[in-house]
Amino acid sequence: MCRERAGDGRPEPATTRGSGLRPMTLGGIIVQLLSGLTSAAILFLVAAGITLIFGAMRIINVAHGSFYMYGAYIMASALTLLPGQAGFWLRLLLAPALVGVLGAALEVLVLRRIYQREHLAQLLATFALFYILADLAQQIWGNQYRTVPVPPVLAGHTSILGHAFPLYSLFVIAIAVLTGLAVLVLLRVTMFGWSVRAAVEDPELLAATGVNVKRLSTLLFALGAVLAGIAGAVVAPLQAVTTGMDASILVAAFIVSILGGLGSVAGAAIGSVIIGVFQAFGVQLWPQWSSTFVYIAMILVLAFRPSGILGQAE
Amino acid sequence: MILRRLLPGLALALLAFLGAGLLGPGELVVLNNVVVLALFAVATNLLLGTTGLVSFGQACFYGVGGYTVAIAWYQHWAGFWVSACLAPFIGGFVAFLVGMLVLRSRRWFFALLTMAFSQLFFTIAQKAYDITQGDSGIFGAMVPDWMADPRGGSLFIVAVATISILLLWLIDRSPLGLTLRAIRDNQRRVAGLGVNTYAVQLLAFTLSGAFCAIAGVLTVVNQQAAYPGMLDWVQSGDPVLVSVIGGMYSFLGPVVGALIYQLGHDVIVRITTRWQLALGLVLLAVVLLFPDGLAGLFRAEAWQALANRVLRRRPA
Repeated sequence: MCRERAGDGRPEPATTRGSGLRPMTLGGIIVQLLSGLTSAAILFLVAAGITLIFGAMRIINVAHGSFYMYGAYIMASALTLLPGQAGFWLRLLLAPALVGVLGAALEVLVLRRIYQREHLAQLLATFALFYILADLAQQIWGNQYRTVPVPPVLAGHTSILGHAFPLYSLFVIAIAVLTGLAVLVLLRVTMFGWSVRAAVEDPELLAATGVNVKRLSTLLFALGAVLAGIAGAVVAPLQAVTTGMDASILVAAFIVSILGGLGSVAGAAIGSVIIGVFQAFGVQLWPQWSSTFVYIAMILVLAFRPSGILGQAE
Repeated sequence: MILRRLLPGLALALLAFLGAGLLGPGELVVLNNVVVLALFAVATNLLLGTTGLVSFGQACFYGVGGYTVAIAWYQHWAGFWVSACLAPFIGGFVAFLVGMLVLRSRRWFFALLTMAFSQLFFTIAQKAYDITQGDSGIFGAMVPDWMADPRGGSLFIVAVATISILLLWLIDRSPLGLTLRAIRDNQRRVAGLGVNTYAVQLLAFTLSGAFCAIAGVLTVVNQQAAYPGMLDWVQSGDPVLVSVIGGMYSFLGPVVGALIYQLGHDVIVRITTRWQLALGLVLLAVVLLFPDGLAGLFRAEAWQALANRVLRRRPA
């Protein structure tokens, strides 16, 4: 069978262009660290959704990478509709919102029918969604890759101890940190988060207290989709938007969520930082093999903690 | 008794041999695809149906098998026969190493980890350009001349696949196979009987990997190429789908599934280019409408249950 596969669509660490191996001064190390955090930011946003959904519903959505790809495609294709600086911010809101609606729709149509099934059925159903969404994306946006310009405000570089670092990468890190904090507040402080945490413990008892657990699942699944949509939208100016983004981010995000411990958002944050930083310094030390470092980190962690850093044994 | 059990399989093998001997070149390609996929799926089903381990990374060992032959040829390390005979051992060894790590986890963790390892080998195949030719893969006359001929190649593929599936059948019927089933049904109880379930599962994982590698070798014979896509996790979905379609709790189920899958693919791509969409929709419909899998499609109760659910009646 023939599939369009773009190579490794994982966000490349945003090193300053054209600079090769440079001596490791303090500034150099900080810049390298920051570029690692940039890819960590993207990975965190995708993995947080996976891990949130797994925590509450005990299901892994194989089509989660598709939400990320859709976010990026919407960001790119709405460019003509909403151009310019103001357009960028509007698209940044539009893309996650549309992806969230898509996530809610899929939850109602498919996911809620398979929560009680064995994990093979869940795997196959969401794998089917992966195929369907990949095909529809190709239908809607075609095979050609697209690019998204960085808005003028965020273009250019900032200087860190004499080393240039792209402003936009800092913006990506900021978005991830703010989103992560928002999710944390949502889960810890609001009624919604209280219900989610209760649903993890005992959905039946929660339903008995009058909470609409079905709607809660839909909302939580949509939230996961929105997070992936944000990741796709902010990554669009960093790399070419293309088919195959869904498959490659998926495995990376799985690794992050397994590393951190499935079900733990804080774990996803730790896992993504480990992977991102590991990779960024890997690029410096051993450029050709840097993309295998992710897996080496995974093997090392799992050799000692089979259920991840913050995970509980299944 | 044993002959009667062998009969359906032998009939299928005979049909495949007749096909390889008589069909035209166009149909031979289809036959080869079906036979290779069947072996790949039966090998995967040793984990899936027999042991109850959902591996989503068998393409890893399939690709290792294919690359063993291709790299040995491209680097002038060894001829076809040497590398083809080594492939299952290398595939099995890689599976042993991977299995040691992934078998420590269960269910979702296991599926995701096998997927991750598949992607690791995919990345290695892409990046080790000097050895693997990177993204473009290795193409060329890596098999003996008579095998490059469609008829010879097809006969070879059918013969090797038949022997391999027969060996897998013997494994399936052996005390090992029975132990694997017992672990599938109740791992704790089997462990309580004093069986080292981890070691038994690791053995199954290794054997499955070795036979997946043979399927990879046959793919190289079929396509005269090895490429990173063989190792991709999406590729790992195929044998799982095929096993589920044909019925993972019967030994020949994956063979039937391979036939349905490949022929369905060939028919659908003639009608529409949207194969992925069609596959996705069919798969989704099957999972949602037939909780017992497609194998249940052929049973009357499954349809009865579906009718009951659609009409919102309670089961009788």
